[in-house]
Amino acid sequence: SLMGARLAGSHVDTQEPKTNPLVSISDEPETLYKRLSILVKGHDKAVLDSYEYFAVLAAKELGISVEKVDKPPKTIERFTLLKSVHIYKKHRVQYEMRTHYMCLELKYLTSSTAAVYLEYVQRNLPEGVAMEVKKTKIEKIPEHIRKPVWDTLPKVEEAEVKS
Amino acid sequence: SPLSPQTRAARVRVGKGDKLVTYERAHAPHHIGHRKGWLSLHTGNLCGEAGAAQRALEDTFLRRFLYGTFPGLLADEVVLKRRGNLLVICALLGRALPPPKLYFLVGYAETLLSHFYKCPVRLELQTVPARVPYKYL
Repeated sequence: SLMGARLAGSHVDTQEPKTNPLVSISDEPETLYKRLSILVKGHDKAVLDSYEYFAVLAAKELGISVEKVDKPPKTIERFTLLKSVHIYKKHRVQYEMRTHYMCLELKYLTSSTAAVYLEYVQRNLPEGVAMEVKKTKIEKIPEHIRKPVWDTLPKVEEAEVKS
Repeated sequence: SPLSPQTRAARVRVGKGDKLVTYERAHAPHHIGHRKGWLSLHTGNLCGEAGAAQRALEDTFLRRFLYGTFPGLLADEVVLKRRGNLLVICALLGRALPPPKLYFLVGYAETLLSHFYKCPVRLELQTVPARVPYKYL
């Protein structure tokens, strides 16, 4: 009776395969990406630096190879306005908006890896920072370009060439 | 009459020494990015991004709304953060009101603002015994 009570709650006899509802398995071949280019823009350079550390660490933990981390120069948008409401054309005020960039390039990803990495990295995007993603797909050469055209045409007889 | 040679934007003028000034108000706008941070964080002002004017309007409305909902309690400027659709409002309050009334005001502000702007709004508060002085001007 004690043995029966101990085995009552345990799943010794059931043989259900453990399927995680979050993981989906499909038989389609995965699209491969040669390069995944992530451009991050922000006003604060310190925020972008810490985000770069976080993104590179995440890529390394997931086993994604980082091609390079590029830091393009900042763009400053400046405009000059009149200081006063009515007259005083000689007195102006100048404002500027600085945008810092950071480009992260990852190479050789599958579509599911790219989806997971991008979702993780985008959920943790700090406020005030924008991101643009460019993916370079690898595709097989289409059938009609595989062989050169001059091999497929019927051979022209040499008698016609002689004038 | 000619203009005065000094700019007066967002600067606290020197007085007798009895006026309490917080770190935020003590620094002039040309210190933003160097000694000050940003009060409202969104992507509207970045190169190639749109929506700057709408965000600015929303920010002004939110600051006035919060100044009115918590009368006399705001210790410093409100920090607004936008993550995707979510709007996070970080405010620093004094301890004049008892906590049940504070909770009611928080719920009221959150529901009203989320219905008004059609986006999730989260209000994160911190209470401080008194305004933190940086200088007395």
